[in-house]
Amino acid sequence: MVRPITMPKLGQSEEVGTLVRWRKKVGDPVAKGDILFEIETDKALLEVESFFEGTLLKTVVQEGSTVPINTTVGFVGDPGEAIPEVAAPSPEFRKPNPVATSTEVPSPAALSPSRGTAEARLERPAAHIGAVREPPLHPTPSVMAAPEVFRISPRAAKLARESAINPTSIVGTGPFGRIVERDVRKYLESKGYDRLRITPAAKRLAAKENIDVLTLDGQNGQGRITVAVVERAIAEKPQPMSRMRQTIASRLTESFTTTPHFFVTVAVDMTELVNFRSELKAQGAPYTVTDFIQKAVALSLVEFPVVNSTTDGKNVRWHSRVHLGLAVNLEQGLVVPVIRDAEELSLAELHDAATELIAKARAGRLTPDEMGGSTFTISNMGMLDIENFTAIINPGESAILAVSSTLKQPVVKDDQIVVRDIMKMTLSSDHRIIDGATAARFANAIKQKLEEISLWKRLA
Amino acid sequence: METFGVVVIGAGPGGYPAAIRAAQLGASVALVEREYLGGTCLNYGCIPSKALIHTSDLYAQMRSSASLGLKTESASFDYSAMAERKDQVVHNLRGGVKQLLAANGVKVFEGTASFESRKRIVVNSSSGNAAIGAEKTIIATGATSSMPGFLPRHGRVVESRAFLDLRSAPSRALVLGGGVIGCEFACMLAQLGVQVTIVEILEDIVAFLDADVRRELRRQMEKTLGIRILTGMSLENITADEHAVRGAAGGEALEADLLLAALGRKPVTQELQLENAGLRANQHGFIEVDEYGVTQVSTIYAIGDVTGGPQLAHAATSQGLVAAENACTRQRRKNEKLIPYCIFTSPEVGAVGLTEQEALKQGREIKTGKFNFGALGKAQAIGHASGFVKWIADAQTEQLLGAQVIGFQATDLIAEATAAIRAELTATELAQTIHCHPTLSEAWMEAADVLLGEPIHTIAKRARG
Repeated sequence: MVRPITMPKLGQSEEVGTLVRWRKKVGDPVAKGDILFEIETDKALLEVESFFEGTLLKTVVQEGSTVPINTTVGFVGDPGEAIPEVAAPSPEFRKPNPVATSTEVPSPAALSPSRGTAEARLERPAAHIGAVREPPLHPTPSVMAAPEVFRISPRAAKLARESAINPTSIVGTGPFGRIVERDVRKYLESKGYDRLRITPAAKRLAAKENIDVLTLDGQNGQGRITVAVVERAIAEKPQPMSRMRQTIASRLTESFTTTPHFFVTVAVDMTELVNFRSELKAQGAPYTVTDFIQKAVALSLVEFPVVNSTTDGKNVRWHSRVHLGLAVNLEQGLVVPVIRDAEELSLAELHDAATELIAKARAGRLTPDEMGGSTFTISNMGMLDIENFTAIINPGESAILAVSSTLKQPVVKDDQIVVRDIMKMTLSSDHRIIDGATAARFANAIKQKLEEISLWKRLA
Repeated sequence: METFGVVVIGAGPGGYPAAIRAAQLGASVALVEREYLGGTCLNYGCIPSKALIHTSDLYAQMRSSASLGLKTESASFDYSAMAERKDQVVHNLRGGVKQLLAANGVKVFEGTASFESRKRIVVNSSSGNAAIGAEKTIIATGATSSMPGFLPRHGRVVESRAFLDLRSAPSRALVLGGGVIGCEFACMLAQLGVQVTIVEILEDIVAFLDADVRRELRRQMEKTLGIRILTGMSLENITADEHAVRGAAGGEALEADLLLAALGRKPVTQELQLENAGLRANQHGFIEVDEYGVTQVSTIYAIGDVTGGPQLAHAATSQGLVAAENACTRQRRKNEKLIPYCIFTSPEVGAVGLTEQEALKQGREIKTGKFNFGALGKAQAIGHASGFVKWIADAQTEQLLGAQVIGFQATDLIAEATAAIRAELTATELAQTIHCHPTLSEAWMEAADVLLGEPIHTIAKRARG
């Protein structure tokens, strides 16, 4: 029996998915649980497994296409079976129709990461640096500027292509401003094309790669545009960033340009905690310094609820729970898995939750739901040998803590210069809701906890 | 102490042109040479070997010219006269170099150069020591034949230089090493009727050649010249006495009148005392240079065989000119990367750029076009119908990336391909270039047509790339 495979729904906020790569070819046998294709959302790259057994009969959606969820992307069945006609969706799909995202039909394809916690959480403010798709508080109607019509005759287009030039800036003299061959010739003449010293192979390569040879500088090829010059231009051609990277870019720009950031830095004396942790480690306890920081932050957020809130400049939303985001650096970008209800977790539970989420992040197996809803984020660059740094607030939050490396420093203690393990932390705050004094008190609350060894003896 | 703008050490095919170019650019130039002007190439390499090979080649052609309508049954050769002519050629050319240097005002020092410091060089000769000052120095000391210790020191065991001094030909020869030098001399001897056996430790002779060319060369050497070629074997238990030289390869006992050792060449740096100039040769004895020919010391350049690049006279010449220009002007020119090579075997071989195997190894998508000389009118007319030319081009842009030719006058024919590749021509450009008819060079045009899938003088293989 022929069964359609559809674009699965990945998370609460996902309406579209990009099919990055088919892992099976048409005609390949498919077993239950085999990976059929890879999809990319704003948040992650995921593998999609087959629920069915059979043969991949047809692929409807091409690699690189973005389609609404539940769109049929292909069919699995027995060889020779008739395949229903499906119109291929437009690959340039951008604006999903909300009506199309009905979730009544169960998706025949399953995500390989477990979706055990996939039930909708009503209260889940967005909180992923590269991820959030929260409706804007003041939606503005977007007006698409109508693209200018570009008219060019086939002969003119062919001449432009063979000359390896970009014809878009040529003024057309044909009907309706259409560019005709004569215009291209005139343009080439006005640009001194005849005097261009370009090797035949370089010209062919430029034409193939859509490099405008008039933009090339042949000086490195001793005045001649050689293949090496064109290859450099190809390497420098702007490439679209991954969707994940684009989302990171827009979210961070939005945060940094619309949120008035200010920063306070405290130096924490970690000497005793480092020693205590070594003792615990010798006894077999798994805690890392990060675990202590997470616990200290969760405890402090309960004391300072304003730091655990969100504002749009007019309203403030207080969060009753601490959902702690952990910024994790991956090769393809930054992800922020979230520890839910962190204020309720013991040190051991915090350790386990963080370990699991970070491992999943590194393996690329975080689900979108595991990356949303944080109320405060910690960015720890301690392992990167950093004296101090500042972080950009995750949209939907009002502060972020930047944790730097613990370094041996000479400090004055009891009027003596001594060597201590010092770690700097910088809190970035949204000044619309957090004042300087509050930020200072909050940062010092964390510092005091980390320096108070009796607290950890009780908690560990 | 006399001080020069440029001191060139070594008057080989790299050194003497460097000296002339530096003088042309206005520098005061000294050229130090411990033996003969012209170096290995002119005195005991390219030139004398080609003089001998020309004679052997003519002789072989005469003996097989009955089909051309010639009666040459009584043809014979006099090896000592061949050697004498070769010496005369060398003598004349050496005189020419001397005149050129004098005309350009280059001062020639006879003796062995060694560094006393970066800017002070001592020339040691039988008539005493002379110190000269050097603003810039170009090291062009070249290389010399390797004679590993396992070879007996005996008159029957020679390397290429001693071989060229022979006044008579052996009747049986063992050639140890199937590289360029070994194969050239093996072909020359075989053309004179000498029984030749080549022993090569690698899996094939001239291993760097394109596989198609290598196959054709080996086939012709074995079939036409009757050379025995033993590959993947080493020559063991080598002994020599007044009767013969003997060895064993693959368990078989081999015996000959002469053993020619052609086991590669090692750089000449020993007497230079590089350490006094702050220089050091690498672990293989070569002096490393950057792409402008500069050593670790910014005022000292090195060119040619001593730098460990391809050991070719024409590469050294090009590098010598680049070094001289870089030393004497404000411009900085890089060494040319595209170096053609030619092998004076029978048949001759010429090649430039990538071989098919190298291109595929680089992961390039390529097209090839091969054209046999047999399909050319000229080749048939002159009775040299064997061999072929072959282009390798980028599959997308048709840029010519490599060229191979094996057959009559291949070493001259490669010049056109070299110019085409350096100018980054495409196969279409080459195919549209008019070539004189009837000539062997038409093969390049025809092969480009083959590559493009539209040949005139051969049947198109539709299945090809």
